[in-house]
Amino acid sequence: MKAAITFREVSFAYPDAEIDALREVTLDVPEGAFVLVTGATGAGKSTFLRTMNGLVPHFSGGRFRGRVEVEGRDTVSSAPRELADVIAYVPQDPAAAFVVDRVEDELAYAMENLAVEPAVMRRRVEESLDLLGIESLRASSVRSLSGGERQRVAIAAALTPGPRILVLDEPTSQLDPQGAEDVLAALQRMVHDLGMTVVVAEHRLERVAGFADLAVGCAAGRFEIGAPASVIPRYASGPPVARLARLAGWEEPLPLTVREARRRAPRLASPAHTDIPVTGRVLLGAASLDAGYGTRTVLRGIDIDVRAGEVIALMGRNGSGKSTLLRCLVGLHEPSAGTVRIDDRPPIPGRDVGLCPQEPDSILFKDTVRDEVAATIGWSATPDDPTSILQLLGIEDLAAHHPRDLSAGERLLVATAATVATGAAVLLLDEPTRGLDTSSKTKLSNFLRARAASGGGTVFATHDVELAAEVATRVVMLAGGEVIADGEPSLVLGDSAVFAPQMTRVFGPGWLTADQVADALPAEVP
Amino acid sequence: MHPGAWLVWVGAAGLVGVTTTNPFYLLPLFAAAYLVHSRHRRDDRHARAFKIFVLFGLLTIVTRTSLVLFDVVTRESTAHAFLEGLRLAVLLSVFGTFNSVSDPFRVLRLAPRRFHEPALAAALALSIAPRTIDAVTQVREAQKLRGMDTRRWRSWPALAVPVLETGMEEADVLAASMDARGHGRGRRTRYRPDRWTWQAGVTASASASAAVLFVGSALAGEGGLIVSTFPLRWPEATTVLVAGAFSFAVPVLLPLGRESS
Repeated sequence: MKAAITFREVSFAYPDAEIDALREVTLDVPEGAFVLVTGATGAGKSTFLRTMNGLVPHFSGGRFRGRVEVEGRDTVSSAPRELADVIAYVPQDPAAAFVVDRVEDELAYAMENLAVEPAVMRRRVEESLDLLGIESLRASSVRSLSGGERQRVAIAAALTPGPRILVLDEPTSQLDPQGAEDVLAALQRMVHDLGMTVVVAEHRLERVAGFADLAVGCAAGRFEIGAPASVIPRYASGPPVARLARLAGWEEPLPLTVREARRRAPRLASPAHTDIPVTGRVLLGAASLDAGYGTRTVLRGIDIDVRAGEVIALMGRNGSGKSTLLRCLVGLHEPSAGTVRIDDRPPIPGRDVGLCPQEPDSILFKDTVRDEVAATIGWSATPDDPTSILQLLGIEDLAAHHPRDLSAGERLLVATAATVATGAAVLLLDEPTRGLDTSSKTKLSNFLRARAASGGGTVFATHDVELAAEVATRVVMLAGGEVIADGEPSLVLGDSAVFAPQMTRVFGPGWLTADQVADALPAEVP
Repeated sequence: MHPGAWLVWVGAAGLVGVTTTNPFYLLPLFAAAYLVHSRHRRDDRHARAFKIFVLFGLLTIVTRTSLVLFDVVTRESTAHAFLEGLRLAVLLSVFGTFNSVSDPFRVLRLAPRRFHEPALAAALALSIAPRTIDAVTQVREAQKLRGMDTRRWRSWPALAVPVLETGMEEADVLAASMDARGHGRGRRTRYRPDRWTWQAGVTASASASAAVLFVGSALAGEGGLIVSTFPLRWPEATTVLVAGAFSFAVPVLLPLGRESS
């Protein structure tokens, strides 16, 4: 097969970096393939992607050796703009990459630069709007969009110039499960129908693994490409079906999708269900809550109690009101009706209730991780010691690092630690697993479980069904600003076609995590 | 509306503001700017930018007037300083309205091709203000939720550091994104140029006529455009010029086109 991108002994180090981010990478990305790039946070995935269109080294500086060719063009002698007609790149945070203001103009921006004929531009903009389901946003300002909408707009804008290769860095991190499925299916259609080459870096393997024709695994700057079933299990512990196969000792190749796992899975009866009694003291309560912006109503008649020892997963599609509910609970948004109460009074933001923001960079300002946590302790006048809080998150070894030098996942853990340090009885987290690799995610899960055991209350808004299955004691599902389901994860998630975790899909309702299933599997299973 | 119409509107309104210190002309001009902003602003985020421009304007009046304190304070000098401040404040409001009703990137398309680069730089520079306001709001909220008392001045590094660092990183991302999307390849085409509607025509001609009226009066030294402060006299105004200043509110009376943004 012809190669779309070739890497020949490519080594690269960022300016002032002691170790190489890429080490003698030699591989071919074949034309017309859907390629998944996997590996731990900080292993070099983003650098690898940015090498493909020449942003590395043109915009990074640093030491670059070896040769990368895109459709036969060398990325060192051609600037990224000269490759813009063959390769498009969607960065991790699309908001900062938007150039103009209107969605429609943003979709046309690259085509204008490539001098595409006006009639062709018009047609491609319309097609792209439809493909990504964002026709209703065409006249909106890109700054007014939600995270999920921004991701769709960024992908649509990358598609309009008709590139042969599309490179995306975590394109579904802010999309709900159905939205992610739709976007990935649209990309797969470009691969099948038009022979486009799609390269995607993604941590949520349960979403992407089924679409990939090939996988690139990376660890410590070394890269290899191969069949997903052989590469993915060696570089990541997920998806849950693969984890189960490993725990249960199934033979290689490990399953990567629900379908593959189902073929080999024994039948299991639903686990015996015992109602977990609701016992904890109510820490924070919202009653008949209505809220909105201007004339737009976002939440209607919400009743929710957060009790000691609870970890509540707040789920629902993009725009269902999760973020607004968090803002009401923390006392940042004034509800138009109803009350939010903590011990019969409104909560004081940052004292009774802490919220860790979606963008960790918006709170990190100190030179070391330790000082960052100490700053919160200083403001809140809690008697805690920074080290003990870092230990809760499992990041005590990062104490002396500069927060800006850490990976996105690590920064999120630091921001969480800085919020936990308020000593607030109720902790809220907005989409805490964005950009988190498996090991960081495990740290977060352990922390949430320990927090529940010590009687803290936690609410986290998430699109990550596997995280909800793993740590939530309760799932609250929102739709159109109303609570449509509220109960134990096995009941709420087990009953949903879209939000069911992989284990539920394979073994039926009641089964949530790979560890739970592995414990129940009879020993003689192949 | 066509960005060219807004360009004529702001240019004409600015010209009128420059020719006069008479509150009987400046206040109607401010009223017109406010009304146009209320009806034609693109969305609520831009409403915030307008408010900030008006606040800056009020600050200008106060600062300009109190500068008198460094000199001999007389009724005349205070009135003079106040009127100068008022003029600046009204000009700022006019510019605030232009910012809230027009998309700088659509205005940029009016620039001839060879001026595309500097025009784009200007449009991006204009978009820094709203971006920074967004960033400050976001950081302030986030730090508050982490227990910070955002009213204390001592805590300013907790606001400034994330805003500046994120801003610098975003600037890098933007530059890379523009290049990766073919910026600077030379030849370019234009997507869906805005159409010149009759609403745009009415707005542009009303604004231009008002500007001609004011500049004409200024050249002829008529209409009491500059209020006499030495000696201090009660300002006089002619109906025609008051109406001329009000005519900048004409866009408010026009039906919104389907693509009014």
